[in-house]
Amino acid sequence: MAVETLATLPATAPLLARAAVTARGRRGSEVPQRTLRVEDVRVDRGRLAAYQRLTGYDVSDTVPQPYPWVLAFPLQTALMTRPDFPLALPGLVHLENRVTTHRPLDASEPLTFDVTAGDLRPHRRGRTLDVRLEARVDDELVWTCDSVYLSRGRGDEDAPRGDAPPQAPDGPAVAVWRLPDGLGREYAGVSGDVNPIHLHPLAARAMGFRRHIAHGMWTYARTLAALGRTSLGPSTSRVWFTKPVFLPSTVELVVGRAPGATTAALRSRRDPPTTHLVLTLEA
Amino acid sequence: MPTTRRAAVLGGNRIPFARQFGPYAEASNQDMLTATLEGLVARHGLAGERVGEVVAGAVIKHSRDFNLTREAVLGSSLAPDTPAYDIQQACGTGLEATILVANKIALGQAESAIAGGVDSASDAPIVVPERLRRKLLRLSRAKTPADRARAAITLRPTDLGIQVPAATEPRTGMSMGQHMAITAARWGVTREAQDELALASHQHLAAAYERGFFDDLVTPYLGLTRDQNLRPDTTLEKLGSLRTAFGSGPDATMTAGNSTPLSDGASAVLLGSQEWAAAHGLTPLAWFVDGETAAVDHLGGEEGLLMAPAYAVPRMLARQGLTLQDFDLYEIHEAFAATVLSTLAAWESPEFCRERLGLEAPLGSIDRSRLNVNGSSLAAGHPFAATGGRIVASLAKQLHEKGSGARGLISICAAGGQGVVAILEAA
Repeated sequence: MAVETLATLPATAPLLARAAVTARGRRGSEVPQRTLRVEDVRVDRGRLAAYQRLTGYDVSDTVPQPYPWVLAFPLQTALMTRPDFPLALPGLVHLENRVTTHRPLDASEPLTFDVTAGDLRPHRRGRTLDVRLEARVDDELVWTCDSVYLSRGRGDEDAPRGDAPPQAPDGPAVAVWRLPDGLGREYAGVSGDVNPIHLHPLAARAMGFRRHIAHGMWTYARTLAALGRTSLGPSTSRVWFTKPVFLPSTVELVVGRAPGATTAALRSRRDPPTTHLVLTLEA
Repeated sequence: MPTTRRAAVLGGNRIPFARQFGPYAEASNQDMLTATLEGLVARHGLAGERVGEVVAGAVIKHSRDFNLTREAVLGSSLAPDTPAYDIQQACGTGLEATILVANKIALGQAESAIAGGVDSASDAPIVVPERLRRKLLRLSRAKTPADRARAAITLRPTDLGIQVPAATEPRTGMSMGQHMAITAARWGVTREAQDELALASHQHLAAAYERGFFDDLVTPYLGLTRDQNLRPDTTLEKLGSLRTAFGSGPDATMTAGNSTPLSDGASAVLLGSQEWAAAHGLTPLAWFVDGETAAVDHLGGEEGLLMAPAYAVPRMLARQGLTLQDFDLYEIHEAFAATVLSTLAAWESPEFCRERLGLEAPLGSIDRSRLNVNGSSLAAGHPFAATGGRIVASLAKQLHEKGSGARGLISICAAGGQGVVAILEAA
């Protein structure tokens, strides 16, 4: 596959603007075979500390498991806003994510990121595609992330289903979090993901949502942080974003622990059958 | 009935100390204490271990951090059923925590414990002025709309403002440096002597880093690998060129170079019984022998604010049947160079020892080559509650290197006219 190395991480805002303008004309059933790479990505400690505070991690040198995704977000955005990319970025829904940390990542280590997209396929609510991110320190693969995104549209009821999320743990809440109205704006400031569906009710309504919703990557990180230090070491977490979290709202964390594996879920406090996220963590 | 046994210092860990608004500006006390505990856990294989108790504290502490140490334990790899509590005795916090847990171990009430401390001069809690705070409290306890309106109407734009806590004595309104300047003048401590002590502190600390002494005592944090305040290449000329910061006129001798800077950092010390140490494959570095606290009445000007250790040490020596010269190493916390020099001068003074301490003969002088041999707060910085843990761990290791039976004295002055001192003996 062709590897195209960018000199630096691109600025996200102009890419997102271009994505909005070019959203309508996108078509095609193939994802171009292409890997974008950027080398020598440095962690800005001030931004990392802000991320750690907002997601419930301690401010420390160890990079939280979801954070490289944030670092690579501009690269991923660059790939998905190329003229020949078949799906429109605005309104794209993050369905699933699987991240493996091969060894603890220190904030002082410069990273090389590769991003590749592929496997555009029908889904009962539109089409989905996979995006793979890899992070290396020198030539050592230290972090791998597979994301599944949904482009909503005419669905195919007969489309093969992916892995169903595991059963959300039952039982009493182990934590209750009140997510404020401005959470999406705050996380956008920390992560650079300024997708309008997270920022304001009106902006979200324009994109077909009832209200603005929390970033899935925030709910994911907040849940991982609440599970302790496991995800800071070698481990794999997998998350299914089952229902959006409208802001503001109050969510409950439920946890089921088994040897070597933890299952956690976020559910609505007002309507407990509504599960927003199911997550598994194995070390 | 419990019988007493010896408590051992088994090791320590701290993060490099940073200057105020330096690399730790974004880190909270809890972040720093958690990182420090985590380093101690990693170094001593304590992951998943239930330690008897963890005792630590912070001098500048946000009210939301009421359970600071317990929260740090929960954020660490220690077993979550490890109990913890906070204490606070100003700059004596870390050493007082060590005394507390050593006593519990000695009494058989604990097999293992961690003592520590943390402070951030950067992430300080900001409070509203007292007048506004009282009005807001009145507003929040108003029950009826009329009460609320009456309370709200007293709010004035001029009430607004924020206050950052400062290192001032509540009852005197003077800063610690201003207090120290008075004591330094009383003991005739010269600028040159202070600068020489500061220079030695930097040189000793730099040499200790160079020989790898801190390799198993310090864990890098937020990109910092050595104490930020350390100036290995400073000279008497450079120190002598600094303007005085406290006191005034020709008597002013204290500068930013011979006073400790406001700092951020954390430290922790692992202690345990001999049996617990053996069961965990850990080697005792030093035994905790004794501790003493003292306080002076600094309000009437009769005694200097930072002179309490001068009283605590002779009481402890008398109890132990030791003289001031019976030590291989001395760790006198350098709040200011003048603190160390005033304390030493007091112990050498027949008049002070007779009139203030009630001793027939002065305690005498110490071998200065045994003082703060790996540097102290002037070079390392002084995050208030973290200094005790830094000193206990370094002294225990240095005593262990000297060999069994070597004895060390710790002296730490604290705000409020207090002092905490202790004796360690090499295991």
